[in-house]
Amino acid sequence: MGNNLRRYVIWVIVALVGAVCWGMLALSRGETVNAGWLLFAALASYAIAYRFYARFIQRRVLETDDSRATPAERLNNGRDFEPMDRRVLFGHHFAAIAGAGPLVGPVLAAQMGFLPGTIWIIVGVILAGAVQDMTTLFFSMRRDGKSLGQMAREEIGPVGGAAALIAVLSIMVILLAVLALVVVLALSASPWGSFSLAMTLPIALLMGVYLRFLRPGRVLEVSIIGVALLILAIFGGGWISESSSYAGAWTFTPNQLVFALVVYGFVASVLPVWLLLAPRDYLSTFMKIGTIALLAVGIAVTLPPIHMPKFTEFAFNGQGPVFAGALFPFVFITIACGALSGFHSLVASGTTPKLIQKESQVRMIGYGAMLMESFVAVMAIIAATTLDPGVYFAMNANPILLGDTAQSAAKAVSGFGFSVDAQTLTSTAKAVGEESIIGRTGGAPTLAVGISKIFSSVLGGTAQAFWYHFAIMFEALFILTTVDAGTRVGRFMIQDLVGNVWRPFARTSWLPANLVASALIVGAWGYFLYAGVNDPLGGINQLFPLFGIANQLLAAVALTVGTTILIKMGKLRYAWITALPLAWDAAVTLTASWQKIFSSDPAIGFFAQRAAAVQSLESGKLNDTLKALKAESIDDAHQILVNTTVDGVLSILFALMIIIVIVDAARVWFGLIRGGKEPEMSEAPWQESRLDSEGNEIGREPVGAGR
Amino acid sequence: MSPLLRPFRYAWEYLKEISGENAYDRYLTVHAATHPGKPAMSRGEFYRWRQDDKYNNPGSRCP
Repeated sequence: MGNNLRRYVIWVIVALVGAVCWGMLALSRGETVNAGWLLFAALASYAIAYRFYARFIQRRVLETDDSRATPAERLNNGRDFEPMDRRVLFGHHFAAIAGAGPLVGPVLAAQMGFLPGTIWIIVGVILAGAVQDMTTLFFSMRRDGKSLGQMAREEIGPVGGAAALIAVLSIMVILLAVLALVVVLALSASPWGSFSLAMTLPIALLMGVYLRFLRPGRVLEVSIIGVALLILAIFGGGWISESSSYAGAWTFTPNQLVFALVVYGFVASVLPVWLLLAPRDYLSTFMKIGTIALLAVGIAVTLPPIHMPKFTEFAFNGQGPVFAGALFPFVFITIACGALSGFHSLVASGTTPKLIQKESQVRMIGYGAMLMESFVAVMAIIAATTLDPGVYFAMNANPILLGDTAQSAAKAVSGFGFSVDAQTLTSTAKAVGEESIIGRTGGAPTLAVGISKIFSSVLGGTAQAFWYHFAIMFEALFILTTVDAGTRVGRFMIQDLVGNVWRPFARTSWLPANLVASALIVGAWGYFLYAGVNDPLGGINQLFPLFGIANQLLAAVALTVGTTILIKMGKLRYAWITALPLAWDAAVTLTASWQKIFSSDPAIGFFAQRAAAVQSLESGKLNDTLKALKAESIDDAHQILVNTTVDGVLSILFALMIIIVIVDAARVWFGLIRGGKEPEMSEAPWQESRLDSEGNEIGREPVGAGR
Repeated sequence: MSPLLRPFRYAWEYLKEISGENAYDRYLTVHAATHPGKPAMSRGEFYRWRQDDKYNNPGSRCP
């Protein structure tokens, strides 16, 4: 009884802390609000959600059964199936789901103020994102680790399955292009950043040889060596940027960087993985976990004030200079990772379910790791909104609105309704060791300025330029890891797809197939990257919404599969736990698609832009609409015509895909609800577990206990 | 061990586990139990085989 009482008191306190923090965020009237309120509002909300909602899903809805052997136990082969300690698996799963996404989206969405993004990140993860991850993980585990595509085919039907496959491949292409675009925008005209990122190549090669031949499997020592060399490379970049003879040689235009990235992506996909991909993977994982931990400590120690207002007018008028469109639906597709990310359903079905020891652990690994990623997104929004809003808009607004000089940018920012003087922009650039910070879109540079401010203020205001480039390097490094790995995954998917028609092509070790499939996938994302970098209307402004829509489309597939399985399990009463997020996700994605396709506002609608381009080309000079969008010449109209056609057709394709999957699933749902036919499920049969809750075999000495 | 050092020891063990550094040791234990008498792979062989296996069956990751 005493124990129960204590527990009760603790949760009441947690709830009160959360309520007070949310209240402070919502009701604050001052110029600034302290980031601490945001931090603790998030933590208290997560704790309550994990303890109550996730537990409800685990016990009542999924009814996890720890006496049932998991595939890791039944099919243990010491390789892909193997019961893994839950804490270790949590780390692996988190490292696999947390990429650059949660760091980029929140920064872009901050143009609408700090509150819309924050609320969506926290509420979205609790009710949608973490639920999706946990249920997908559970259903895949009950099916011996089947992939999302396989589950869609088996539980919904061949049409839903095919739509899921096409969705995955097209998302991959857009995703890789957008991420590569972020790197290009962060490194162009920055000799420091370009040099230190280029140095990661020889470092990775060195690590690869070391791991393969000199000291096989000594991952920790080689990672320590790698990180030390990386820090040296950052110092080296500082020296390069100040040297009059080398700085020019390391200064690249965006198109040169596009070329370098495309060549790099192709080479990385073709080369054996141990040489480049695997060591880079280690390096970026350690950098990622280290930097995130440092950032959490930095924010907790400095508790910086947030300067961005709660809402800006762009939340309502849809005229935001970072990307166009109003709060609904565009906040919800701009912030995907951290709130609800369809991509996770690919990780949660596949690798992780084959390693789970006990069914009940899906709560910690599926729901818990996603909460952690959401926390990363919250830290990103804090880092971006602690900047002066004027500086934020000078960095993130579409570069064509800002002009080239600090004066023109300051003037443009005051046109947005914020004030910043040219002096501040120049001195901020100088403090981080860059020539200019104007129009550095893509989110990464803004986050890096925010992180460098926090880190350097922990250290008494020193070394901001070093920390800025540390942050740039860390983001670019793990974006490149995603580009490597994503290109490789895409290559395998193409080989698999063509292999259905022509068998030999599916052999991954066959060099011609490898080269052709790699070239296809690199060519596809390379095209979007090139188009994005040269887009007269701004690459981030045009491509990021498309990426968000694609990602949320995949979430719709995962939630549809989840709802279908819940109904088949006889849990119609609880099917709302995935059906409600699905309804929300479908509303958001379809509204966004609708606006992107049909909006007559040329700032938003692809086809409105296209019509303006066609009209200009016919008359031979730019019309008023394109002039208002800041197009400069008739060549721009050509590019706008091509880009908007491609983007518009893709938007239509994505919207159709969502509708097909949901309609096809609804057909299955109504069939089941009306009854008559016994639901067909492809769950693996029950078998008794011989492992205790710590993963040791019952009635046997624990493995390794005698050592 | 002194209680002050215990958290560090724990963190180190966790790092070894999560980085796959001690995967070979675990492989040896499992191998001895499941295939008694048969020769096991060397550390280098095991590591190379594991790495190739991992990247030839790629999963996905979040952006």
